[in-house]
Amino acid sequence: MKTKNPEPNEARLRGLLRDARPTPPLPPRFQEAVWRRIEKAEAEAPREAASPVAWLDRLVERLLRPRWALAGITALLLVSGVAGLLSGTEAAKQAAQTRYLSAVAPNTIR
Amino acid sequence: MRRSLLILFAGVVASAALCFGVYRLTGHLCAVHLARSTDDLDWLRVEFRLGDAEIARIRQLHNGYLPQCQDFCDRIATKKGEVAEALGTGTNITAAVEQKLTEVATLRVQCQVAMLRHFVEVSRVMPPEQGKRYLAEMQRLTLGSHEQMEQRMSGDAAPAHGHH
Repeated sequence: MKTKNPEPNEARLRGLLRDARPTPPLPPRFQEAVWRRIEKAEAEAPREAASPVAWLDRLVERLLRPRWALAGITALLLVSGVAGLLSGTEAAKQAAQTRYLSAVAPNTIR
Repeated sequence: MRRSLLILFAGVVASAALCFGVYRLTGHLCAVHLARSTDDLDWLRVEFRLGDAEIARIRQLHNGYLPQCQDFCDRIATKKGEVAEALGTGTNITAAVEQKLTEVATLRVQCQVAMLRHFVEVSRVMPPEQGKRYLAEMQRLTLGSHEQMEQRMSGDAAPAHGHH
């Protein structure tokens, strides 16, 4: 059954919960320690970012993004397709030349 | 690190396989498609950009030359048989062998002259620039092999003959 005015009850509940879980006092110089840790992490970050491992990780991460992966595969397909086409044309041209040569200049006189 | 390397390696291998497969497939399909024709003169048509009228005239010359070429080939083959017979199993080069070899050489020269005459005739049907290119290409392809052999004999292989 719904109550018509839930706000006072909720406020009371929150107060009870807060009292039931008292927050312990912060250790001495807590804030200073937090800042020290932040500064240390920031100082180490560029060193890590410049390492080959991080570079490799970033590269792989970037290559695996759908946009990059799709662009890479498309480029590879295009390049190898064009190369195959050129090679096939050259092979066909060579075969046609051989056919003409064997008709007009058999090996016996070459 | 290891995972990245593994992914990168797998990617490179898969890409190489894909490239190779596509390259071979398109190459094969293209070659099969273009080589479907059995016309001896297709190479001339494409390489020297000839029109139908020029090809028709060249075809006439070509068909007229083929029986002549076949006749020379038959005569050379017969003469080569005679050379082999004259050589027999002996180890000496007799006067008869020398005579037969001279006859084969003479036939080959006659055949080459007829062939070159045919090339000149064909080149005259083509536009001047293409005709010149055709003639040069045919001379390179038909007489070039002899030149290469002679160059090898007189150049790199000279020490083997004792010409120091």
